[in-house]
Amino acid sequence: MIEPSTHLRDKYAIAGAGHSRLGKVPGVSAQGLLEEAMLNALDDAGLTTRDVDGLICRGPDEIYTFHQIMGERLGIDAGFSTTLTNGGASQVMGVALAAMAIDAGMASCALVGYGRDNWSRVHANKENHMRGSGRPQQMYGMEFGPEFGYYGAIAAHGFGAQRHMHDYGTTREQFGAISLAFRKHALNNPDAVMQKPLTMEDYLNGRMIVEPFSLFDCSLQTDAAGAVIVTSAERAKDLRQKPVLIKGFGTGNNISGWFNGDNMTHTGAIQSGQTAYAMAGVGPEDIDYAQIYDCFTYMVLVQLEDYGFCKKGEGGEFVASGALDLDGALPTNTSGGQLSEAHVEGMLQVVEGVRQLQGIYGPERQVPNAEIGLVSGHGGNTVCESTLILGAA
Amino acid sequence: MSDDYAKAIPVTGPESVPYWEGAKKHQLVIQKCGKCGHHWFPPSTVCTGCGSRDINWVRSSGKGKVFSFVVFHRLYHKGWDGEVPYVVGIIELEEGARMLSNVIGIPVEDVKCDMPVEVFFEDATDTLTLPKFKPV
Repeated sequence: MIEPSTHLRDKYAIAGAGHSRLGKVPGVSAQGLLEEAMLNALDDAGLTTRDVDGLICRGPDEIYTFHQIMGERLGIDAGFSTTLTNGGASQVMGVALAAMAIDAGMASCALVGYGRDNWSRVHANKENHMRGSGRPQQMYGMEFGPEFGYYGAIAAHGFGAQRHMHDYGTTREQFGAISLAFRKHALNNPDAVMQKPLTMEDYLNGRMIVEPFSLFDCSLQTDAAGAVIVTSAERAKDLRQKPVLIKGFGTGNNISGWFNGDNMTHTGAIQSGQTAYAMAGVGPEDIDYAQIYDCFTYMVLVQLEDYGFCKKGEGGEFVASGALDLDGALPTNTSGGQLSEAHVEGMLQVVEGVRQLQGIYGPERQVPNAEIGLVSGHGGNTVCESTLILGAA
Repeated sequence: MSDDYAKAIPVTGPESVPYWEGAKKHQLVIQKCGKCGHHWFPPSTVCTGCGSRDINWVRSSGKGKVFSFVVFHRLYHKGWDGEVPYVVGIIELEEGARMLSNVIGIPVEDVKCDMPVEVFFEDATDTLTLPKFKPV
């Protein structure tokens, strides 16, 4: 029996956030992009690399001990440092781990970030493009998959989408509503990669990739990085930027497998959310906006259900109601998300979650009266989830 | 059966040898717990239902249903050139274990979740046979 923990509530804060150039950024490595984001985050807080004694990061998965490479490049020794390997759940988890490490006396000021040169890597040669990813062959399953022509995260998530459509009558138009909502947000974000409006007709005419997903159900392939700085709420008060409190966090890992039980329609977000809500002392009704991990449209829909923003099976109706718009019931992925801004496996959603509470945006992008936000991370082999609840100081 | 088989050849893990050997004999074999009766896949050295070490290989009826599926429209591997669109499904066997395979012998647009299917064996090369599924 896991007991709820509340002693970390509001004790640690995000003191700064930054991102790199986004999109097609040729001639810069994943490490270089992450440095750009980290330096921007440090500038945001009014700190330098000399102030950092914790480093949690992630880069392209084939690079071994990425944090050590980053430490060397930044000239940082750290009390606490590691590379995470929970896929898209790693980045939100990195923020949680930073708070835990500081609480345990292993660091005082931690940089958390993720950089990837995915566009440059994937498009660099035809063979990688054919595989749809820059991952080395060893990272794929060697049996019970490839021999049946089973490739890519798109197919795994597609299974979940298909089963959800079967069980609850969810439709492709409802998935499309998610793409359209995030594209609208991207049009108010000058850094977002996608800058053209998207219509339902465009969505439905999109090239089918792995059914039920077409082109517009899929997140972008981009070069990009994001980073944040985690320190004590007390110290953050004296820094340049308005601090953003870490109210709660959680994780949930259905590592018995995506195919097991009903895991593909009842995700790790259920436990992850409950843990985070308990720590923060809030519920879904208190959340003013959300940044939800959107590798594929379906994952947004199912996570919204699993976080309790609507009932199980009603995610389709919820997203089609306009709820995700800036003036909707739950403004979601206000930067455009991974579907329309850039794909850094959730790190840019942490950055956007923070900035909404720094209050730095104009009315076209700012969620009015935002005080509490939820950020989600999802990934690994589709089964790991992490959740962060942020609050205004 | 052919020498120019262009699809991916599985790299067999030590725990799954009986599964692949069974397939060569056109038998679908999976693991069953001697203690609680649970069946599971992919193979491991412990019952995923109760944690027991008492595990046995048994022959599956080969009957089951499509728990979920996707249709590949994009070519990800040259071995599938000319075969898109094709269906990859999660098959839930009668015994309860789920496994990935292809669903064949039906137009892709007619495949549905919970549709009953049964195994058949495709001799891909002289040393590789793949269990695949078709509608009952």
